[in-house]
Amino acid sequence: MRLGTVIGRVTLSQTVPALVGARWLIVSPFTREHFPGGTQSGTPGPAALTKEPSLIVYDDLGGTTGQTIGFVEGREAAAPFEAPTPVDAINAALVDEIFHSPLQ
Amino acid sequence: MLVARVEGNVVATRKHPSLEGWRLVICQPINQTGAAEGVPQVAIDAYGAGMHQRVVISSDGSAARKTVGDEKSPARWMVVGIVDEKQ
Repeated sequence: MRLGTVIGRVTLSQTVPALVGARWLIVSPFTREHFPGGTQSGTPGPAALTKEPSLIVYDDLGGTTGQTIGFVEGREAAAPFEAPTPVDAINAALVDEIFHSPLQ
Repeated sequence: MLVARVEGNVVATRKHPSLEGWRLVICQPINQTGAAEGVPQVAIDAYGAGMHQRVVISSDGSAARKTVGDEKSPARWMVVGIVDEKQ
């Protein structure tokens, strides 16, 4: 799981049948620099935008813009689905608090 | 598998049911010299790894699903051991 900030949402009018009605978030993934380096709750604010490409993340937990989420990438993202589903990243946790204390 | 340093943990109330009760630790992969390399991963931890301890994390989703006991879990990274010493 990686952490990221939700920066928007996507809706799809035409999709493959397995993904009809799905909710999608646009997520800017955290790099090391985006971790708070202390204790903080919820959202790191606008500085949290990354240079890394943003991801489209399947969401069934109800994430909203500005929130920090934990998302899983790769084959495991499709594990929660019954039928084979083309999903690359899934929202696995809505983050309440991050406790982070880097060594250097 | 990667050697990583534990740099914190994450609290999430709303999460995939399979992650309920699991400790979620922030693991920063490190290189030979102990410097950070790559992006931090949040892993499930069954061993109670302490802050700044070195751990080995695995990205084997199949093993992670077995560990949490849910075949439909999106869990992927898990702490598989705590490093005593590295040569």
